[in-house]
Amino acid sequence: MGNISIKNVHKNYGQLNVLKEFSLDIEDGEFVVLVGPSGCGKSTILKILAGLEPASGGSIEIGGRDVTDLAPGDRDIAMVFQNYALYPHLTVAQNIGFGLKMRKMPQSEIDKRVLEAARTLAVDPYLNRRPKDLSGGQRQRVALGRAIVREPQAFMMDEPLSNLDAKLRVHMRAEIGALHKRVGVTTVYVTHDQVEAMTMADRIVIMRAGEIQQIADPETLFQHPVNLFVAGFIGSPGMNFLSAAVDHSGSQPQIELFGSKVPVGHRALAGSKDVIAGIRPEHLNLGEGAVNIQVHTNLVESLGSEKYVYFDGAEHSINAGSETDDDNSKGLIARLSHAGKLFEGEKLTLSFDPQDLHLFDAKSQKALA
Amino acid sequence: MERTPLQSILLYLAIITTAGIILFPIYWLFITALASTDELSSLPPTFIPRDPDWAIFSRVLTERPIFLWLFNSTIVALGSVILSMIVSVLAGYGLSRFRVRGGQSLGLFILTAKMLPATLLVIPLFAVFRNIGMIGSLWTVIIAHSTLIIPFTTWMLKGYFDTIPRELEQAAMVDGCGPMAAMMRVVLPISTPGLAATALYAFVLSWADYAYARTFLQGAQTNWTANMGIASMRGEYTTDWNEISAAAVFVATPIMLIYLFLERYLVGGLTAGAEK
Repeated sequence: MGNISIKNVHKNYGQLNVLKEFSLDIEDGEFVVLVGPSGCGKSTILKILAGLEPASGGSIEIGGRDVTDLAPGDRDIAMVFQNYALYPHLTVAQNIGFGLKMRKMPQSEIDKRVLEAARTLAVDPYLNRRPKDLSGGQRQRVALGRAIVREPQAFMMDEPLSNLDAKLRVHMRAEIGALHKRVGVTTVYVTHDQVEAMTMADRIVIMRAGEIQQIADPETLFQHPVNLFVAGFIGSPGMNFLSAAVDHSGSQPQIELFGSKVPVGHRALAGSKDVIAGIRPEHLNLGEGAVNIQVHTNLVESLGSEKYVYFDGAEHSINAGSETDDDNSKGLIARLSHAGKLFEGEKLTLSFDPQDLHLFDAKSQKALA
Repeated sequence: MERTPLQSILLYLAIITTAGIILFPIYWLFITALASTDELSSLPPTFIPRDPDWAIFSRVLTERPIFLWLFNSTIVALGSVILSMIVSVLAGYGLSRFRVRGGQSLGLFILTAKMLPATLLVIPLFAVFRNIGMIGSLWTVIIAHSTLIIPFTTWMLKGYFDTIPRELEQAAMVDGCGPMAAMMRVVLPISTPGLAATALYAFVLSWADYAYARTFLQGAQTNWTANMGIASMRGEYTTDWNEISAAAVFVATPIMLIYLFLERYLVGGLTAGAEK
């Protein structure tokens, strides 16, 4: 059983607390992605899990065995590094078989397993080559081969695709997904790319400044972010944020957005005066609808099948989520499909459904459920 | 980019001039061994001896214990290389990889040891070796040479290890190596160019020394190094430059052979393919 249990693991460098109490239970065979901006502590927790860095406190169990104080080689895990970390002086076959050799496996068994792993990853024609004679994608496959050949309890992957070009990254993403389905080994995968996280994960752990923000499956994260940070991080382009005052005078609370009163139901608004309303760019439609807003376009970006229309948030502008998505610095964004020709400076009517609004407390930045 | 004919001519001219400057002393060494005494002191100098005395080489070998001196020099140089490499590989690796309190200043302190003139250390080292009764032993020269070599080679190797990605050792550790095995099986094999350059530096420095050997290896000729032997060939009233040059040819040859042997390891780029 390759289940992983992390309890209250934290990491300090002197006074600096880079990883706050981190607890997570990962099921056998689960694919968990740790995602967050640079410096959020995601690689630190992965290295602690692999035994490459000691934790300042807490405990780790892998497959029901306490591995907190064990050396990396004794944890029965395999790791894929961002820069592949292939041994340049060894051939592909020797690279893949290195871990088995260290475990003193008979050479005939090593050869058999290396060939099997190489076939799985389609690198068997290159077994006698050195890493320098391989392309980026092939090197990545060899690094994966080195991991799968050991048949470990868990894989640790530290941004394994970030060195590949965009096209190859999409391809390898699918390959890693397929590989995980085939071998079914528990995987902890670190990335800063939320698209990778959304497409690959069974569950995503979103981190910020050494702290877990939310742990959930991709769908839940997208539909029900627990705070402003998660809402802004997940989704591309990021969610639009607007400051709004709550009007409690009527039978049900309303917020005023671009001159329109928007009923917001009874969602835990009691007492809140100021909120932040979030609306995803794809939930803004061209033309009239339930709630209409008149905007002047600042910039139109055409992606072929759709257009990103940037406009000014005027009195609703706030600077939230900019840490994760610099698109927001250009203003608010509408992601419009089949919009026809649009021009900069054009006056447009956009609309949205109040059901698609996310509300956050302006002070605590937590979602108002 | 294609070179124009003029650029090619200038390039070759520069290469030939440089090679000429570098090779001239070796050529002159041979000439001095082979030319007659009259030719050696003639002006303008003779560049091709009229009647080269090839027998000088065999004469030197029979009259002087050149091979014994070369053997002693080899023992001293190899001993210095082995001792300094063991210490500086471990020290350089430690300085490169582990965060030690005051590690930076420790590193600089080591380097300052290199800045002291060799002659400054001769006297205290002599006193130490005499007190422990080691004067006359080749070990004294090996140890003394190592004190000169280690500070520099430690820095040289630290710089080389710094260029090797840590992830390679981390990958090895996840694959089941301990820190020492990761160094031996992964870091050292890909550090061959750095190790070869360092070893060559250590060998040359030890081989070329005269002052330490002259101070610590007094007494019987059987303990002399080659440089001491050559120096002893200079007479009080007359000096046979043919003989000295012929002996110097024998002493210079091993260094040139070692360079030719190590040259292929001195090329860089062994880490190519480790990363993206």
